[in-house]
Amino acid sequence: MSADGIVRAERINKWFHRGHAKEQHVLRDIDLTVTKGETLVVIGPSGSGKSTLLRCINFLAPPETGSVTFLGETLSQESLPRFDVRARLDHERRLRHFRTKIGMVFQHFNLFPHMTALDNVAAAPIRVLGLPKVQARARALEELERVGMGAKAKAYPNQLSGGQKQRVAIARALAMRPELMLFDEATSALDPELIGGILEEMKKLAVSGMTMIVVTHEMGFAREVGDRLLFMDAGSIVEEGPARDVLAAPQNARTQEFLRAIL
Amino acid sequence: MSALLAYAFRWSVVQESFGQLEHGLRITLELSLVALVLSLALGLIVALCRMAQFAPLRLAAYAYIQVFRAVSLYIYVLWVYFGIAGATGINLSPLTAGVIALTILNSAYMAEIYRSALGAVDRGQHEAATSLGFGRVRGFTTVVLPQAIRTAVPSLVNQFVDIVKDSSIVAIIGTMDLMGVTNQLVGFYRAPFELYTLVAFFYLTIVLVISALAAGLERHLQRHLR
Repeated sequence: MSADGIVRAERINKWFHRGHAKEQHVLRDIDLTVTKGETLVVIGPSGSGKSTLLRCINFLAPPETGSVTFLGETLSQESLPRFDVRARLDHERRLRHFRTKIGMVFQHFNLFPHMTALDNVAAAPIRVLGLPKVQARARALEELERVGMGAKAKAYPNQLSGGQKQRVAIARALAMRPELMLFDEATSALDPELIGGILEEMKKLAVSGMTMIVVTHEMGFAREVGDRLLFMDAGSIVEEGPARDVLAAPQNARTQEFLRAIL
Repeated sequence: MSALLAYAFRWSVVQESFGQLEHGLRITLELSLVALVLSLALGLIVALCRMAQFAPLRLAAYAYIQVFRAVSLYIYVLWVYFGIAGATGINLSPLTAGVIALTILNSAYMAEIYRSALGAVDRGQHEAATSLGFGRVRGFTTVVLPQAIRTAVPSLVNQFVDIVKDSSIVAIIGTMDLMGVTNQLVGFYRAPFELYTLVAFFYLTIVLVISALAAGLERHLQRHLR
């Protein structure tokens, strides 16, 4: 592992419906390292495994094989004994801690509809980190203001536009003070005129030194903000390199085909 | 029909009975509320077992739901009051037996209401909670359950209305609830038409009040869900 590698995923394999007739091998022997402050952009056709890769990194979809090392701690579900309750509980406890340091922003926002914007952001600092309410709310408001949503702190998600919801979702992830941010097609569900604002927030975050893995179809963003780019197809990393270089002169035939089709 | 129109309705019976019916009303409300609270709690436990990963627990909950929904309250009331008491020697008061019978039947229905409401919470909600570091229990109580309850409220209220109406059956073992008192008064005054009409209005009023309160509660709880 390189000295400044913040996340390293090794030999990740993931199947859907494993052992059943409709078994699908969605990630094949993925190796990946992201260094501190780096913005890694992941592109590829739908169904290529981009979102699943993000979900494997924070174990929302635990990889069947391989391990993820993050901030010096290695987690793997591979050798977890099936019936050892204590080992499983310990694993879950480590996972929960692991996840508090990894923020995730979803395509469909996934805000909690029964809470105000402020409570959405303050909920995890209070109930997961155990921060006093006053302090958590102050932090939440600060994060909402950072993404331009301070005035909407008392609004419920159904009173917000898609772009506003996604800003709140970003604030919610940032309120945990993560070391790594995962963006899963964060702009794909937005109206075209709202996409720019969210990309701008993500860019600000990248410039501020946040380590980010961004799954996106926005090639302008990939070129401008991405330090490095992965092209995935059929569960494998097909091409990898500096974002500008790959986008300007893709080497692999499938990357070329994909970029030709979308640009 | 003409005979019914020609019937000389004895309003005096209605007037004289009101006070005693009020006492019965209090028992009916007590019985229904206790059964409601218990079946709300037990129903949730059964629903969670029904959705558990551990198969034996899931099967037991499935059996509970199927068995207890299949038999009528009338039979449960007799089974609990005479059956269980006779077999075990435990002496249950009619009221306690009524609460138990109402609870086992309604908790089975409520388990199914909870299950569908919990199933209706979007997967993305679990994912968001998990990604923020919420554990299973805390994620459930903070994120999933509050949303499921909001969805379940209309059906749970319907179930409460059923409890109130069904509680009248408990009178067969001698509870002095609204129905029990009415039966006694009928024996005394020999005025079944007046008294059963009156008691029907009592039940109707309770149900209308519950529905009105529930409509307000529903609007309040669901205002931000969609």
